[in-house]
Amino acid sequence: MNKQLLIILIFLGAVLVSIIVGPAQLTSEIFQLRISRVVLGIFAGGMLAFCGGILQGLFGNPLVEPYTLGSASGAALGGSIGILIFGTINPVFAFLGSLGVGFFVFTIARIEGGLFRDRLILAGVVMSFLCSSLVMITMLMGGRELYEILYLLMGYLGIIINSTNRIMIIVLIAVSIGLMVFLYRYHRELDIISQGIETAAGLGINIQKLSITIFLATSLLIGLIVSIVGAIGFVGLVIPHISKLLFGPKHLRNLPASFILGATFLLLADTASRVITVYELPVGVVTSLVGVPFFIYLYRR
Amino acid sequence: MEISEQLRKICTTSLIFVLCISYLVCHCNRAKETTDYRIVSLSPAMTEILFALGSGNNIVGVTTFCDYPEEAKKIYKIGDFSNPSVERIVGLKPNLVILNLPEQMRIKKQLERLKINIFVSSPSSLDEVYEEITEIGKIVKREHNADSLVNYMRTNIVPVENKKKTNVYIELSPRPIVTIGKHSFLNELLELAGAGNVFADLNKDYPVVSQEEIIKRNPEIIILLHPENIEQRTGWGTIAAVKNKRVYADINQDYIMRPAPRLVKGFKELKRIILE
Repeated sequence: MNKQLLIILIFLGAVLVSIIVGPAQLTSEIFQLRISRVVLGIFAGGMLAFCGGILQGLFGNPLVEPYTLGSASGAALGGSIGILIFGTINPVFAFLGSLGVGFFVFTIARIEGGLFRDRLILAGVVMSFLCSSLVMITMLMGGRELYEILYLLMGYLGIIINSTNRIMIIVLIAVSIGLMVFLYRYHRELDIISQGIETAAGLGINIQKLSITIFLATSLLIGLIVSIVGAIGFVGLVIPHISKLLFGPKHLRNLPASFILGATFLLLADTASRVITVYELPVGVVTSLVGVPFFIYLYRR
Repeated sequence: MEISEQLRKICTTSLIFVLCISYLVCHCNRAKETTDYRIVSLSPAMTEILFALGSGNNIVGVTTFCDYPEEAKKIYKIGDFSNPSVERIVGLKPNLVILNLPEQMRIKKQLERLKINIFVSSPSSLDEVYEEITEIGKIVKREHNADSLVNYMRTNIVPVENKKKTNVYIELSPRPIVTIGKHSFLNELLELAGAGNVFADLNKDYPVVSQEEIIKRNPEIIILLHPENIEQRTGWGTIAAVKNKRVYADINQDYIMRPAPRLVKGFKELKRIILE
């Protein structure tokens, strides 16, 4: 009980800190700017950590993260192709990239032999590699677009919000909240699968169907996130571990905790990225810089 | 019977082949004769300068970014600005390759290994632009034209007396937000035009900055080098330039981004905007 209250308090603290701390004086305009940044931070950090938690639960593999299944790399690829064509990021392209690669992974994994669940990981990793080299090609082809692709790959919350993209972002966030609620409903099945596949199958869970559902829903969700803020790393891999360390293996509790911890962490990292220099650092750089020492400390305890 | 048939076939094909080759060789030779100096320019600005000096017909290869003057578009393309093809460059057998640093460091190393004569262009101030024009003028033996070009630029780009330095913010791209810092010659051009760059304290040429910094520095004029209606941006409403409707997106970015003769036009545009 105490722990839950504590992380919520820390989360609220992080929100407050990221609204108050920054290079400029807090005026109503700056307030608007920071609020939109906070919303993006909670959205991206929370969702990524949540997806990570779900996927690690489903695959029973601590190394799986949103990027392992290829959908994030696909979104990055789609996004960078969009940048090359239109000169600026087009969320639709990122989203299509994520879906396209997700579909490929799915098709490769369906080729017979072995367990579908394990083949998904393998296919995802392979497709991720393919996507990274294709992204490299788009980077080589781009001149001025290089910066934009780079920031898309590292993720960055300081995007300009104007009348054209405001509504779209709100809709995308609403859709992803829906997807998250949908995924959260599977927490019991995930608990059982964590005990072992045989047990789960014995209890009548259709692992094949569950894998497909979760795979598709998370691919969608990750595509949405990357199309808005870029491919922010580290959060989706490590935050679920921290959440499990603190709240145990039950997904009913550690998934919401992952969301809150991920949001808190990304908000703090973003605040740091704003304060360290006058330049705008991509938040993806800061997440690993701050996160790794913290994780090592927590793990050694 | 059949053998001779085959033999004839082989003979004809090889004859055609030989003819083709000899045509190509002749063609290349002819190209060599018409020009004495063969230049490959990987710098759009330098391409403009060479044409202004009257050495445009000595250029045998350019990048896809070299789009001015019109004639430059017709020249053989050896790749784009960031990825020129070394093989295509070498294939042109140039006497001189003009490079931009730091962007084309990799190409420079490769060309040096192949012992190809290079000229490096990386001006960070107007004086350096003038120096480079004089230097390249000497190389292509158009010293006189180079001198008059430099003169033309010097007399047209002169400091404007403006007691109050107007604060200007220039945005090159919106995502990430890229502006100009101290080490861009555009910074100098702005100062000459009677303005001050709000990010003149940043020790870089093209820094990435945050929206908050821009709002905090409160520029009086905003110049956008990409088309966008920025009045709709969240949080930008308090900036003086937005309040007073002094946001300009109509400047041709090649006028001010290329250290070439058209800087004169760019300078005029900047003055118009600043003194308006």
